[in-house]
Amino acid sequence: MFRTFKKLDWFFKLRWKSYTFGVVALIICAILQVLNPKIVGTIIDQFVAGTLNWRTLIFWVSLILIFALVMYGLRYGWRMALFGNSTLIESILRNRLFSHFTRMDAAFFQRYRTGDLMAHATNDLAAIRFVAADGVLTLTDAFSLGGVTLFSMFFFIDWKLTLFSILPFPILIAISTYLGKLIHARYRGALKAFSSMNNHVQESVSGIKVLKALGEEKEDFYAFEKETEKVVEENRGVYKLKAGVNPSIEIVMGLTYVIALLIGGNYVQTGRISIGDLVAFISYIGMMQWPLLAVGSLINTLERGNAAYDRVELLLSNETSIVEAEKPVKKPLDGDIDFDIQSFSYPNEHKPALSHVSFHLKKGNTLGIVGRTGSGKSTIYKLLLRDYDLYKGAILYGGINIKDYALQSLKEGIAIVPQDNFLFSTTIRDNIRFGNPALSQEEIEEAAKTAHIHEDILQFPKGYDTTVGERGVSLSGGQKQRIAIARALAVEPECLILDDSLSAVDANTEEAILASLKQKRSQKTTIISAHRISSIMQADEIIVMDEGQISEKGTHDQLIDYQGWYAEMYQKQQLERKLDGEGA
Amino acid sequence: MGKGRKRLEKQKTSVSMKDTWNILRHLFRYAKPYKVTFLVSFIFLAFISAITAYLPIVIQHYIDNYLATKSATLAITIRVVVFYGVLTLLKAAFTYAKDYLFNTAAEKTVANIRNQLYGKVVDLGMRYFDQTPVGTVVSRVTNDTETIKDFWTVFINLTTGLFNVISISIAMFALRWQMALVFIAFLPIMMILVVVYQRKSVLIYGRMREALSRLNAKLNESISGMGIIQKYHQEKRLAEEFDVTNQTYVQARRAMYSMNALLLMPAINLIESFALVAVLLIFGYQDFVTHTVDVGIIYAFTSYSRSFFQPIGQMMNGLSTLQDGIVAGKRIQELVNEQELAPRSNEKAGSQITEGHIEVKNLNFSYDGEHQVLRDINFEAKPGQTIALVGQTGSGKSSIINVLMRFYDYQKGEILIDGHSLKDIPVEEIRKKMGLVLQDSFLFYGNIADNIRMYNHEYSDADIRAAGEFVYADTFISQLDKGYQAKVIERGDSFSAGERQLISFARTILRSPSILILDEATANIDTETEEKIQNGLVNMRKNRTSLIIAHRLSTIKDADLILVLRNGEIIEQGTHEDLIAEQGTYFDMYQLQTYQK
Repeated sequence: MFRTFKKLDWFFKLRWKSYTFGVVALIICAILQVLNPKIVGTIIDQFVAGTLNWRTLIFWVSLILIFALVMYGLRYGWRMALFGNSTLIESILRNRLFSHFTRMDAAFFQRYRTGDLMAHATNDLAAIRFVAADGVLTLTDAFSLGGVTLFSMFFFIDWKLTLFSILPFPILIAISTYLGKLIHARYRGALKAFSSMNNHVQESVSGIKVLKALGEEKEDFYAFEKETEKVVEENRGVYKLKAGVNPSIEIVMGLTYVIALLIGGNYVQTGRISIGDLVAFISYIGMMQWPLLAVGSLINTLERGNAAYDRVELLLSNETSIVEAEKPVKKPLDGDIDFDIQSFSYPNEHKPALSHVSFHLKKGNTLGIVGRTGSGKSTIYKLLLRDYDLYKGAILYGGINIKDYALQSLKEGIAIVPQDNFLFSTTIRDNIRFGNPALSQEEIEEAAKTAHIHEDILQFPKGYDTTVGERGVSLSGGQKQRIAIARALAVEPECLILDDSLSAVDANTEEAILASLKQKRSQKTTIISAHRISSIMQADEIIVMDEGQISEKGTHDQLIDYQGWYAEMYQKQQLERKLDGEGA
Repeated sequence: MGKGRKRLEKQKTSVSMKDTWNILRHLFRYAKPYKVTFLVSFIFLAFISAITAYLPIVIQHYIDNYLATKSATLAITIRVVVFYGVLTLLKAAFTYAKDYLFNTAAEKTVANIRNQLYGKVVDLGMRYFDQTPVGTVVSRVTNDTETIKDFWTVFINLTTGLFNVISISIAMFALRWQMALVFIAFLPIMMILVVVYQRKSVLIYGRMREALSRLNAKLNESISGMGIIQKYHQEKRLAEEFDVTNQTYVQARRAMYSMNALLLMPAINLIESFALVAVLLIFGYQDFVTHTVDVGIIYAFTSYSRSFFQPIGQMMNGLSTLQDGIVAGKRIQELVNEQELAPRSNEKAGSQITEGHIEVKNLNFSYDGEHQVLRDINFEAKPGQTIALVGQTGSGKSSIINVLMRFYDYQKGEILIDGHSLKDIPVEEIRKKMGLVLQDSFLFYGNIADNIRMYNHEYSDADIRAAGEFVYADTFISQLDKGYQAKVIERGDSFSAGERQLISFARTILRSPSILILDEATANIDTETEEKIQNGLVNMRKNRTSLIIAHRLSTIKDADLILVLRNGEIIEQGTHEDLIAEQGTYFDMYQLQTYQK
């Protein structure tokens, strides 16, 4: 159980001062708290004996007052120390997770979905936060308050009375543990009913059109009513048990009071203890209740925290497969690309995603890649960008293997506009200068103009300050694509890759963008893949991908003459264009 | 088109005072059916409070009358102890009854909210569902209502606090009214504390929630956009930015801890001690002046100081939960007041569909009132005929079906079925007689028979098998281990698209509709499978008016009439042969598809 604390010892060591302060403050509080009933008991005894005078009363009362103020300060102090630390460990681990995520490769993000990662970063960290504050608090408080109270009962009041009175305590622990188990079992049933109800809504709303088409919404509603009824029934079972927790505590505590009164009353009668002692003793019994119940919740907190910490550790133990060469080449990318892959397959897949794909791309030239979805176009980029490293073959840039370059050089040299044109929910300006936050407004506009999005941006009420995803302004798919293109252009990459990133742009704009790219990037390398032949027909060389292999290769004219897939596709698209109403 | 636009989730975290009252009133309405149970549990609560206030008096009485006078014989002590024990047992029994009754009533109230919400949801129009993500609806019906449950718990804590303050005040007045006044004097201080706390906590908890939601949004976005971050080598900058957001949240949490440490339990404990000091001083004064102090009363008052103030602290602790409940209640209220209802029939609608004769006259339709989606659509389908609708995406094919099925109301023009306006036919009749098969054949969790029968339990297993045979679904179903009882997992993922579609054919045909509507029913199916289900389709169309939206033109060659749509208008119409001869758009489309093969 305590191994959870052991796992967090690096943090306890880091914050040992505030933890020491918190724990000491808690213990002092416990002692002061336990002294109060004793003071009141003493006052009562002096009342009875008639020995009380103003001076002694003021003395005792001032003591209570001072204790109260000191406790207020200490309570504030330990709360800030323990809870402050708990939120600190949460933020440290969250930062650690975040920077870990930034170092992970594509395979990692395929293994863990966004939702899973989010759940780890929220629920698991919350469970650890609980250990760092409530765990420490409960442990310290239960033992110090319980210990000091028990000590006072034994030594300040009467050891025999104490022994008799605490006889029912084991029953309390037994009952609360037993009931806890029963409730937990029933609670699972209630959770199941709830999730079944949840699924019903999820399913029916997803398939609402079917239900409406069949005219069975009413019947579905009746079925839902049955689900809610079931939830009520299951929860009723939980409440039946749960409502028993407080009464059973009350009965056991009542039994303790009864024993205390019975024996204590007799002791007072025989003069073994004073009335004040008895009053103090009764107060002490009340103070024992919380430490006894705390033990159960402590176990729970620690177990949950332990499991959560292991999950986070597991996540952090993942390693990226992309490592920099020992003596990386730090100069910027320059020269021709020699792409020569004998075979590559994705992890956990047998079928090769690429086999015998090779091409030579001269600096300043444009390569066009076409092919069906899943034919391997994006895979070529993934290897070029070192998303995956395990393949047979070599990719050279300017005669140097890309694995020998510093990651920084590679990333600065190649910019890709991916298919999903992901934008961040910040301003359009920040999105365009994402790769280099130091860019001036002029440079940003320059990139936007090349991507033919500048005019569109000026149309928005807030211009470049428009926040992406903000209510009221919704960017069309084509606008998003063009912003993504501007983002890539803004870093002035040696090699620009457009991965089907003109699909949502209309034909005229596409032509304009291609023209300005050609003009601006005459000295630099560009790779374009597309479904639309029109996007790549101007390229210096075009390759057609089919099931991971190059099936056709050449210029547009050569490929048309070849009368293969490319030519057929081109004819089909010409026809489609006509159908669309000639560029509507 | 206005269809794809999803509503953005409202992220408001605070609610005005006036709205709060409105929402509370609204929430209490749902509790009305269970008011007797609530009332009984409150009566028990009153008894519990009374016993709680009385127990110290029992001990006080014992101390002052017997212990202090040294006259506590064993018989007297036993009598007192038994009395104390009985009261404790009673209190325990009442506590059990109160907790059980209250929680059950609260659970039922939540179930009531859920039922009413869900009843509202299924009554909403398709427009609502086209605009609202499924997750939002689910979270309204299940999660927000779950929050309301916590809200009720806080409510009972509040009442407990109030009852305790009242009953303890009464007990104190009965014992020593002067002393009681000391406690009452502390009430205004407590009130100020509560008000200050409430004001501050709304702000601080609001800030905390906002910081958390921003943190989660940032994390979520960064994970989704990690590819971009890495490709632009911005890992370090983003990690730094994330740390800023992270620290904002830490600060907000610290502010919350600090506020709670200053104003919650430590403050309550401090006030408790002040009250104790006041009690002791006054007793001391009485002792010195009148020499008549009963020590038992000191005991009683010291123990009251605990039970008087603690519930108020717990109450304050629950205020943030109360705030969560209000925010959830607001969202519930918004859904209840949602105006996007499903289209209604005219008041005296009673017309029936018998033959299946469809006439569409000058039909105009728009989803948002701005962009016209259908313009002057005219066509007629005689009973038993097959009409096909073709055109590019967004040409308006599906909109015709949306209007025909009464998923959306049409604005201008008229649709007549068997001579009656569509608006004069009850919606139930339309759903019963017009069978729709969608492109995405949605299957529900359960088994195959359930999915064919759905909620209509009039159909026997034999009927279901007959329907399966009719559409040629029987061939694959009978090969399954459990046949019609074979399990269907969420969305029917264990079946192929073709199999799923066959099951949904059986579902539709079981209800023997007069009119059959196929909305791209074969679009997600590969050519080979389509050939297999073609037989089923032919069987289904026999003797019924059919309206087919087809993706593959080869499947509708034999239609009696083909309508070609573009931008919401019919641009060509005729039989397959007519249209091919015309060498227009249909001809081009047909040619295009021969390429794809």
